[in-house]
Amino acid sequence: MDISLPAGAPGHAHSQSRYNVYVQIAMTLAIITGVEILLIFLPFAKWLVIAALVALSTVKFLFVIFFFMHLRWDKLLCTAIFFIGLVLGGGTLWALVRLFGAIASVPLSAQP
Amino acid sequence: MNLAATIDHHGDPSTATGIPNKKLLFWAFLASDCMFFGTLISTHLVYRLHPPPGNPVPTQIFNIELTSFSTFILLMSSLMMALAVNAIQRGNVRSMRSSLLVTITFGLIFLGCQVFEFNDFVFEKHVTITNSIFGSTFFTLTGTHGTHVAVGVLWLTLMYIRSFKPASATGGGWVGRAVVHLLFFAVAAVLAMYATLGFVHAALASGVNGTMVAAYLSRYGPAAAGAFLAVWVLRLLGAEHGPVDFSARNADDVESMGLYWHFVDIVWIVIFTAVYLLEYVFPAGPVR
Repeated sequence: MDISLPAGAPGHAHSQSRYNVYVQIAMTLAIITGVEILLIFLPFAKWLVIAALVALSTVKFLFVIFFFMHLRWDKLLCTAIFFIGLVLGGGTLWALVRLFGAIASVPLSAQP
Repeated sequence: MNLAATIDHHGDPSTATGIPNKKLLFWAFLASDCMFFGTLISTHLVYRLHPPPGNPVPTQIFNIELTSFSTFILLMSSLMMALAVNAIQRGNVRSMRSSLLVTITFGLIFLGCQVFEFNDFVFEKHVTITNSIFGSTFFTLTGTHGTHVAVGVLWLTLMYIRSFKPASATGGGWVGRAVVHLLFFAVAAVLAMYATLGFVHAALASGVNGTMVAAYLSRYGPAAAGAFLAVWVLRLLGAEHGPVDFSARNADDVESMGLYWHFVDIVWIVIFTAVYLLEYVFPAGPVR
C-alpha cells in the first residue's frame, strides 16, 4: 500500500489513495483480531501466547492512531501530546500490576 | 477552484502551533482519557491477580464469540468513520452522511451486544456489579467504555443531522426540524435494539421455528413495525432540500469527532486483550 503521500498532495488521487489505505488497514485489523482469537486456543507456551497477544494488540493500536487518527500525517506535537497521556496511563497500569503482583501484596482473603 | 482542494486539513497557519485549536484540544482530552482508562484497566487487573474466594470464573461466563463479533464491528465502524472524514475533506457531503449512518449503525450494534452480554451476566450467570469484585471492576470498566460509545453515537447523530442545515436557514424552523430528526433517530434506535434483542433471546430459548416466530411477532411485532416506520420517516427527513450549510470547511469538526470515535476503538483493543483474551491464557480455577 502506498502510504507515503504528503498532506498537500493534490486532490482526487490523494483522497483515493487514502481510501484504499483505510480499507486495507481495516482488513489487516480484522485478520489480526482473528489471529488473536485463534491464538488463545492453540497449545503454545503461555509466554509465547502472551507476547504474541501484546504484540498484535500493539500493532492494531498503532495502525489505528497513526492512520485512522491521521497522526502519521499530522504535526509531531499531536503525537507528543497523546503519547504523554498514553505513557502516564500505561505507566500507572504497569506500576500497579507490578506492585499488587508481588507476593507480599496477596490479600489474606486470597491466600490458600 | 475546488474549495476542498484549497483547505489544508493537517495544518492551520492562523494558530501558534500550526494545528487547528479544536484538534489540539481533542488530542489533549484523549491523552487525559488514556490516564482515566489506564486506572480502570489497572483496577480490574489488580483484582484479577488475586481473586478472592467465591469470585466467578470469567472463562465460564464470557461469550468469546459475541465479544469477538462486537470487536470486529467496532473495528469496521472505525473504518467507516475514517471514510466519513475522508469524504468531507473532499467536500462530498452525501458520501460523508452515508459513512456516518453506517458508523452509527455499527455503534448501535456494539451497544446491543453489550446490553445482551450484561443481561446474560446478571440474569443467567448471576454476576452483578455488587456481588463480586470481578463484577464490580468488570461492569465499571466495560460500562464506562460503553458510555463512551453511547456518547459517540449521539455525537455522530447530531453531526449527521447538522449536515442538513440549509444554507439559507435563519429562523427556528431548522432547529425544530432538527429536534424532530433527533427524536425519530432515538425512537428508531431504541425500538430496533429492543426488537432485535427480543428476537435473539427468543431464538436462543427455543430455536427458530413457526411457534417461536408467532410468539415473537405477538410480543415484539409492534416494536419492529415502529422501528421500520421510524426509519421510513428518517428517510423522508434525510431528503435533499437545496444547498446546505455544511462543506469541506466543517472537516475539522468531523475529524475531531472521528478522533473520539477511534479512541473508543483503541480502548476496546486494549480491553479485548487484557480483560477477555488473557483470561483464556490464565484460566482461574473452579469457584472456591
